[in-house]
Amino acid sequence: MLAACGGANDFSTEASVVTASLSEPSGLVLSCTGCHSDTPGAIVSLTAYSEDMLKDALERYRSEAEGTTVMHRLARGYTDEEIASISAYLGQPEDDG
Amino acid sequence: MSAFLDRRDLLRASMLGLGAAVVPQVAVSQTRARVLVVGGGFGGASAARKLVELMPSADVTLIEANPSYMACPFSNLVIGTGRPLSAQRFGYEGPAAAGVTVVQGLVVDVDAAAQSLSLEDGSTLSYDRLILSPGVDLRWGAIEGYDEAAAARLPHAWKAGPQTTLLRQQLEALEDGETVIMTVPPAPYRCPPGPYERASLIAHYLKQNKPRSKLIVMDAKDQFSKMALFQEAWAEHYPDQLEWRGASNDGAIIRVDAETSTVYSDFASERGAVVNVIPPQKAGSIADRAGVSDATGWCPIDPLSFESQLQPNIHVIGDATIAAPMPKSAFSANLQGKVCALAIARILNDLGPQSTVLANTCYSYTTPDEAISIAGVYRNGGGALQSISGAGGISPLGADVSVRNAEAAQAAHWFDTITQEAFG
Repeated sequence: MLAACGGANDFSTEASVVTASLSEPSGLVLSCTGCHSDTPGAIVSLTAYSEDMLKDALERYRSEAEGTTVMHRLARGYTDEEIASISAYLGQPEDDG
Repeated sequence: MSAFLDRRDLLRASMLGLGAAVVPQVAVSQTRARVLVVGGGFGGASAARKLVELMPSADVTLIEANPSYMACPFSNLVIGTGRPLSAQRFGYEGPAAAGVTVVQGLVVDVDAAAQSLSLEDGSTLSYDRLILSPGVDLRWGAIEGYDEAAAARLPHAWKAGPQTTLLRQQLEALEDGETVIMTVPPAPYRCPPGPYERASLIAHYLKQNKPRSKLIVMDAKDQFSKMALFQEAWAEHYPDQLEWRGASNDGAIIRVDAETSTVYSDFASERGAVVNVIPPQKAGSIADRAGVSDATGWCPIDPLSFESQLQPNIHVIGDATIAAPMPKSAFSANLQGKVCALAIARILNDLGPQSTVLANTCYSYTTPDEAISIAGVYRNGGGALQSISGAGGISPLGADVSVRNAEAAQAAHWFDTITQEAFG
């Protein structure tokens, strides 16, 4: 298999997955999946969250006082750029596209 | 190392950004990358699964001496509340189904120069990259009189399994009014808050079942993880069941006598009907044979990739590493496994490791339905793992019981998630 440089039909979806997986945000989100699974429960599943919802939640955790989860303490360790990056990576597409 | 993806395509993809839905099909080398992972705990199992996810074309083999894994997190509930030990057992069907080749066998030697390892059955396997996740070994003899024979009478229960059951059975056989002793080693050791969670849950058992009995904790330290939170819980729940003695109160144990169930510090001794000795620890012994442990008994690593500072192409993750301020926790091992897998995938694709942010969360039960937590956030750039100031810390002191109940439920959910990610 050699790299194709033709039209859209030559593009590989699998390759995009592999490449995105090696990117910087994929490192940042590795910390999230130790607690957040696809199963809802005492720790929320992130599968229903859009990029904006995640960004808003993380920014609120970072700025608010203590709560009933570790998220306030964790969110304070991340920069604006990192929160944006994590939110974009994990956020689900909006229904209206 | 040959490239397993075409570098130009990766660069092009990164320039397009994450929004790019598709990138050109990549060139795949005819050589399959071979990564061996030794040790099927939270670190090794998580690393192996992440590797097959990131590099579907690579040959990823997980080598583990036991047919299944006994998880240490939540094993204190087995001891204190009678949680079934079977709830701690996890097989390797999940990693195998995900594409990991699982080999049951004991690795007896590693030849770093030849990039190969040998198993007890005489077979050898070669690797492009090796990940060691050997966990801890107990330092037999570090406390005079405490060897494997003594542990059959004075359990450590610091590796989940028969020792966990033994300690539970000894507590059940305890006569009301008899004394329980626990000894705690100096740092570093597996699970910094673990002894104090265990003390809490043993005290809970005594309060419920042997109300005239008492637990004395003999500690080689004067400060410990989540200390203020544990002491708050102990004062509230176990004022008559739990006495903690730190190093400056003759708590540091130097000798035990298994025959008489007696522990000795420099100037004091205590006899218990049940004695739980948590001994000093070191990296699992394969680390020594691979040449990746140093004089401390632990393994220095490059925090970006978890590659050994002592041997090329060998990475070390989990409890065996020198990764402070990251604690020796299941959360850390799982995350280090994933970060290491990502770094190896990048290295094998000629991208090189990349700095990131790592988190840790450790929950501890203080009663069967109340828990407290400690969290940390770390950067691995700049040559060392460093805590991010202002982040992390412990649960609020003096919080309402609803906060403790909520964290207990979160702890249970965390256990389900992390065991699913590693073994499910």
